[in-house]
Amino acid sequence: MKSKQVLAIAGIIVVCIAASGRVLSQTPSPPPLSPADKQVADAFEKRAKDYVRVREALEAKMPPLSKEAKAEEIQAHKQQFQERVRAARAGSKPGDIFTPQASTLIRAIIKDEFKGRDRVELRNAVLKESENKAVPLRVNYPYPESQELLEMPPTLLLRLPPLPKQLRYRFVRNNLLLVDRENGLIVDYMTNALP
Amino acid sequence: MKRIISLLLLLVLLTLTGVNAQNNSARTNGTARSNAPVTLTLPNKEGGVRFLVMGDTGTGTDKQQQLAQLMLRYRQIFPFEFALMLGDNMYGGEKAVDYKQKFEDVYRPLIDQKVKFYAALGNHDDSNQRFYAFFNMDGQEYYRFTKGNVSFYSLNSNYMDKKQLDWFTGKLATDTSTWKIAFFHHPPYSSGGAHGSDAKLREIVEPIFIKHGVNVVFAGHEHFYERIKPQNGIYYFISGSGGKLRKGDVNKASALMAKAYDDDMSFMLIEIDDKEMHFQVVSRTGETVDSGVVVNQRKSSG
Repeated sequence: MKSKQVLAIAGIIVVCIAASGRVLSQTPSPPPLSPADKQVADAFEKRAKDYVRVREALEAKMPPLSKEAKAEEIQAHKQQFQERVRAARAGSKPGDIFTPQASTLIRAIIKDEFKGRDRVELRNAVLKESENKAVPLRVNYPYPESQELLEMPPTLLLRLPPLPKQLRYRFVRNNLLLVDRENGLIVDYMTNALP
Repeated sequence: MKRIISLLLLLVLLTLTGVNAQNNSARTNGTARSNAPVTLTLPNKEGGVRFLVMGDTGTGTDKQQQLAQLMLRYRQIFPFEFALMLGDNMYGGEKAVDYKQKFEDVYRPLIDQKVKFYAALGNHDDSNQRFYAFFNMDGQEYYRFTKGNVSFYSLNSNYMDKKQLDWFTGKLATDTSTWKIAFFHHPPYSSGGAHGSDAKLREIVEPIFIKHGVNVVFAGHEHFYERIKPQNGIYYFISGSGGKLRKGDVNKASALMAKAYDDDMSFMLIEIDDKEMHFQVVSRTGETVDSGVVVNQRKSSG
């Protein structure tokens, strides 16, 4: 083999390694949404942010929880926070955030993410192995502390519409919930989420 | 000549795996021996980073108490400075009384000796645990701290979203520590029958570990101990029997397993001294069920 060919091959290898390094160094990007789906996702994110604005305003009126809190302080803060948000959102109902269009989009994303064996494993994890089957499906009610918070698959989280840090997606049975991570309230839910 | 070749092959194998584990086989009688002598396989050098690892602790049972008493006895001969908690720190409730019964009462002697606990969150943990003073999470679900030449990354594997991944890769990119250790709840590799490897999590985090030179990963979730054969140069350990046990759950024929112990509850003692990480795994019955050393062969990638 001539030296030029060797150099060329070596160059290609170096470029390939460098390129793979760049890919690995970044958080994987999800496939882009169509313009119509993007509009639905944006509207969903806006509704989620609207909820967060309400709960942030309520929390701002409470004594802040220290980063070095005692257990009693954590319990008291959570309880007060729940009571205030529940009172402020007394009229909230299923579908306020998960509108029919948003639910349709999210179902399609989950279905596309979990195919074949992945789908079977997701259904097993959520429907059979989980320890959260006793969570009552009621908006503006607390997610019971005694119930497992099922791990959300990271590959799915990268594809679902992003949420403000105060909110979390959670699977419970065949439903997808929005749960407030601090006050533990079920903010909204959609049914038939699993593929 | 054949003997020399065999010896060389053995040497290469040991170098490649980087682990010289003693693989102690343990005989257990299922009872904790409160007066049994404690034996140390670690170097116990001044200046080393010495810590304890435990997972799935939050039950408050008598057996968890017995394990905690053994930790205390080990601390008398091996003065570990802090403990990593691998999630499921609180099972079944998160009221103030639960924090007391499932953590404070159990580890009070260690707390009184100024041992610091650094927690990760599991699937049974409320996010508000991040505010709990004794868990040293600084109000964050994921955080980093350093000890000597070691960086520790506590991750929230229960909700590995883009915000967390961006934070993690950003921190690693500028981290020049000799050792980069990640600890979190769900194991990327596992020989457990009840859960098994978390492939979706691994798909996302392992490329980051490889790219940025994470050396060691500690996880829980599985209620047993397992040392995984090195994967892509990374050493994965499971230590999830600090408060619960899933006896006999390890698939003994698993190709992933280097060593496992599912006969009783256990914890890990770790000592990092420059380029070596020594580990010792102690069962509730006081026996050393695994031990060895991981040699750091990576250059910091920054």
